[in-house]
Amino acid sequence: MINTASVLLDGVSYGMLLFLFSIGLSITLGLMRFVNLAHGAFAMIGGYVTVSLVNLLGVPFLLTLPAAFAVSGVVGFVLERVVIHRVYREPELQQVLFSIGLAFAASALATIVFGPQQQPIALPSWLAQRISLLGVPVGASRVFLIGVAAVAAVLLVLLFNRTLFGARIRAAVDNRRAAEGIGVRVGRLFAVTFALGAAMAGLGGALAVDSLGLDPTMPFKYLIPVLMVVVIGGPGSIPGSLVASLVLGVVDTMFKYAVPDVGPFVVYALLVGMLLAFPRGLAAIRA
Amino acid sequence: MTAALESRNLAVRYGHFSAVGGVDLAIAPGARHALIGPNGAGKTTLVHALTGNVAATAGSVHLDGEDITHLAQPARVRKGLARTFQINQLFRSQTVLENVLLAVFERQRATRAFWRSATGDRRAIAEAREHIALVNLASLADQPVHRLAYGQQRMVEIAIALATRPRVLILDEPAAGVPTTESAVIFERLEALPREMTLIFVEHDMNLVFRFAERITVLVAGKVLTEGTPAEISADERVREVYLGRRGHHAA
Ligand SMILES: Nc1ncnc2c1ncn2[C@@H]1O[C@H](COP(=O)(O)OP(=O)(O)OP(=O)(O)O)[C@@H](O)[C@H]1O
Ligand SMILES: [Mg+2]
Repeated sequence: MINTASVLLDGVSYGMLLFLFSIGLSITLGLMRFVNLAHGAFAMIGGYVTVSLVNLLGVPFLLTLPAAFAVSGVVGFVLERVVIHRVYREPELQQVLFSIGLAFAASALATIVFGPQQQPIALPSWLAQRISLLGVPVGASRVFLIGVAAVAAVLLVLLFNRTLFGARIRAAVDNRRAAEGIGVRVGRLFAVTFALGAAMAGLGGALAVDSLGLDPTMPFKYLIPVLMVVVIGGPGSIPGSLVASLVLGVVDTMFKYAVPDVGPFVVYALLVGMLLAFPRGLAAIRA
Repeated sequence: MTAALESRNLAVRYGHFSAVGGVDLAIAPGARHALIGPNGAGKTTLVHALTGNVAATAGSVHLDGEDITHLAQPARVRKGLARTFQINQLFRSQTVLENVLLAVFERQRATRAFWRSATGDRRAIAEAREHIALVNLASLADQPVHRLAYGQQRMVEIAIALATRPRVLILDEPAAGVPTTESAVIFERLEALPREMTLIFVEHDMNLVFRFAERITVLVAGKVLTEGTPAEISADERVREVYLGRRGHHAA
């Protein structure tokens, strides 16, 4: 019982990381129709920012999180403005080849700078301890991770559904020409949105170092589950991505724990089943 | 007097094809100016080049004497040059009010405070409702635009353009796709706009053109054939030829 609860919590925290990794990809796919397979590189950047700050400069872990968010966001913004925006109009195959190339380049760069090895991180004692949640002993870091990701998800939903920023994004997606016709600089708006997605991945990468580890293969390691989240959740849908991430995280973790031999394949069966039942993703069910 | 909107030798080429070939226009402030010409004459392309939707291949565009040739469309909108399109350009999933409201916010640069609520500003909402009332859609303000009849949607487009507070407003066939009985209503609404606003419109229906325009430019094959008052244009042999067919047909 206690074991089930802690496995469940592991699953939820993995799901939350998947959400942070994937939400930017989902948004850029939904809004800009850009298939960015290099999105995982932003998570890697966030991870290296946190590891470097903690291990080399002794910055408190908590302070490195906004730094990881910001650095990944800025890198995303610059990358979008300099190269990526040129690819939006290309056919999907070009986008896929281009972004995969970008992911390999990021991975190679990380190997040169940080080496191929796993990066260790020493969490502060308040995160490394085990706490009791409703009588179940659980890792404090898991609870913290879930809390941070949940806050980020809520803020993101509010930003898109309630604010002027969100209204402009929705308008630009609805009708780019009309948006420009009222004075919206759509190109810049998309760059900011792209940067926001990159920043979320960076935050995820920083939070993930402890539980998932960090090495230069990061941009590829979680590509499959992230793509699954986007496909199942429906591109551009924040609630869809959240639900898909959690389901995927929990199911994957549960089965890996319960039946280690076939566990890793269960999620793929889930994907196939989902796609047969809801070919256009969870978000399309409500519509 | 400085023209409200002026083009000098404005040209747009698509590959080897010259869609607009060296157009000089000078539209006086407060004008009610029609742009006419047969299908494919380059009217829409000329409008695109004036408003910055396509880049001019040569020549220049001036708004109140200021060279705006190198500004992108959003920047031209902010300077007071707005437009509507030949086909409906709306945010279809949003309500009439939301469509117009967003344009109000953009103009006020309220969007700099991007975290602000999209529906919480009473003054902006009141202004948006004024624009909507001006095009006679007050009772439909809270409907999603896709529920409106096509003619009403075209009115929403005009309200959106008005919300940018243009000094010069260019309308590319504002009544296209609307039944003839309703198209006059659209032009009557346009006629009721403030006199100081400069209006340029593309229109195929000659009855509407002669009724509402004070000056007319005739575009043929990307070039200005002639320009004049409705009386001058209707008396012009060459214009009649263009509209009635080839020379041979005319002579027969
Ligand atoms: N993007 C484009 N690429 C190539 N040719 C184009 C493009 N847009 C327009 N043209 C051509 O330029 C010419 C002028 O087109 P335009 O749409 O400006 O004419 P128009 O006067 O607005 O016609 P209509 O009365 O049918 O609206 C046409 O021959 C058209 O085929
Ligand atoms: Mg046209």
